[in-house]
Amino acid sequence: METVLSITNLTKNFGRLKAVNNLNLQIKRGQVFGMLGPNGSGKTTTLGMLMGVVNPTSGDFSWFNERPTNDVRKKIGAVLEHPIFYPYLSGLKNLELNAMVKQCDPSNIARVLELVELSERKDDKYKTYSLGMKQRLAIASALLNNPTVLILDEPTNGLDPMGIAEIRELIKRIADDGKTIILASHLLDEVQKVCTHFAVLKKGNLVHTGPVDDVGKGEEIVEVIADVQNLNEYLLAFMGTTSVNRENGSFQITMREGFKSKDLNKYLFEKGIIASHLVTKKKSLEKQFLEILSEA
Amino acid sequence: MTSLIHLLKIDLKKLTSYRTFWIVCGLYFITLAFSTASGMEFLKWLARTFKNFGSELNINRIPLYHFPDVWLNLIYFSGLLKIVLAIMTVISITNEYTYRTLRQNVIDGLSRWEFLLSKILTNVGLSLLSVLMVSVIAFVTGLIYSPELNWRYVFSDMEFLVAYFLEIFAFLSYALMLGVFVQRSGLTIILLLLSHMLEAIVRENVDNYVPQIIPFFPMESISNLVPMPYQRYAFQEIRDYLTFGSIAIALGWTFLFNYFSYAKLKRADI
Repeated sequence: METVLSITNLTKNFGRLKAVNNLNLQIKRGQVFGMLGPNGSGKTTTLGMLMGVVNPTSGDFSWFNERPTNDVRKKIGAVLEHPIFYPYLSGLKNLELNAMVKQCDPSNIARVLELVELSERKDDKYKTYSLGMKQRLAIASALLNNPTVLILDEPTNGLDPMGIAEIRELIKRIADDGKTIILASHLLDEVQKVCTHFAVLKKGNLVHTGPVDDVGKGEEIVEVIADVQNLNEYLLAFMGTTSVNRENGSFQITMREGFKSKDLNKYLFEKGIIASHLVTKKKSLEKQFLEILSEA
Repeated sequence: MTSLIHLLKIDLKKLTSYRTFWIVCGLYFITLAFSTASGMEFLKWLARTFKNFGSELNINRIPLYHFPDVWLNLIYFSGLLKIVLAIMTVISITNEYTYRTLRQNVIDGLSRWEFLLSKILTNVGLSLLSVLMVSVIAFVTGLIYSPELNWRYVFSDMEFLVAYFLEIFAFLSYALMLGVFVQRSGLTIILLLLSHMLEAIVRENVDNYVPQIIPFFPMESISNLVPMPYQRYAFQEIRDYLTFGSIAIALGWTFLFNYFSYAKLKRADI
């Protein structure tokens, strides 16, 4: 697969603080790549370096196997941190200006405005927009040059649930077009839903990278509810159990290797217990993420 | 060349929908036009207000608007107004920092040099517009007030238009540099207004020891381009020619101002 982005030993120090430390990463065409990490882990600094606004202390990176020049950036659509526009210009004029900067066809403007559903408000000044509209305008601007790579940094930051759902739909639609997307986000649920690969940063260090599908491989977790007083004891007595957790009125059983939920079901039935609720759970990215962070 | 025009268009696109730009530039050009064109009215007012003024000398014999005096007279006076234009330059650059649009411009694919160049080109444009404005007013008022038309006189002293262009452009380059370094509009404007005074303090202290370096001071070099002409009507000698030295020093500073802006912009994390 074609390499879109290749990072080698990228480092950024702010004084004594190592914001990004010896980062190595490869992103291939068509991947939806999630960048995870707590606040201050170096996600935005990394993206800033990739987009030419932060000067790296050392290390290299290349886009499309080319040296990173300002012309290469014209092929990338990026929204870093907050949407940034001229507040006194209308949405339309802001996009016209962006089209001039990116040297792309201004006829795209109507299409991207339609895509983010801002056509009706395009002549209003940017400063009159709600936060969700600002975010959507930023995405429209990123899509303006029909980029093969899209970089989104916390695209749902500060949005209400409706806005978050809208942006998520939008990202899915864009990903379906086969674009490479780099998504930095706190919302792990989000990353699990849309991303194919992910990396975890902690204090500037890369602590994990791999496909999202690998999350949840390994031991199985089963959630059980049954109307029995000492269910806990029965569950602990089952030979396939490694541990039992009580959570919100249900029991979470982590299974031993080789045991499945049907084995547990059969065991309970033999003991004369009928479960009113029995679900096999995949390990969530959130859980995995927290594990990775605590191990690192 | 096409890329220069492209960059100029980008900066003008930002400015032409900005109301402050029209207000400041409008005030500048209107003030420039009216004040330079109404020198004779000013003299008449002086004559009316102060009794002795009119009797001691006949104001119609002060050749304020006669060719070739009109060129230097108007150019010198117009140079005093350049501070207004410089404030516009400061607003234009510091806005890019306040709104963080500089960052977005670079993300979207401008190089830092291209970004700065777009601002420099706007400065060139505003300087040229000032030169054009003053030329037209000087030419027209000269035609009106000159008692007789001698074409040799009409076109002499016009070389000061070149010095005037440099005077404006050098000062706008200085304003741009201040903006790039200070990044906040209020503070930058205050520093801009105080520049002459701060330099004067240094100058007074230097004067007793090494007066020969004074012409190399930045503000001094900008004011030295066009000498004050009015004392010639009090029978004093004035310099009514360009000096190579003053042009060279001002050009040097203009280059340095823009170079410093570039150097700062290049190594900054934005």
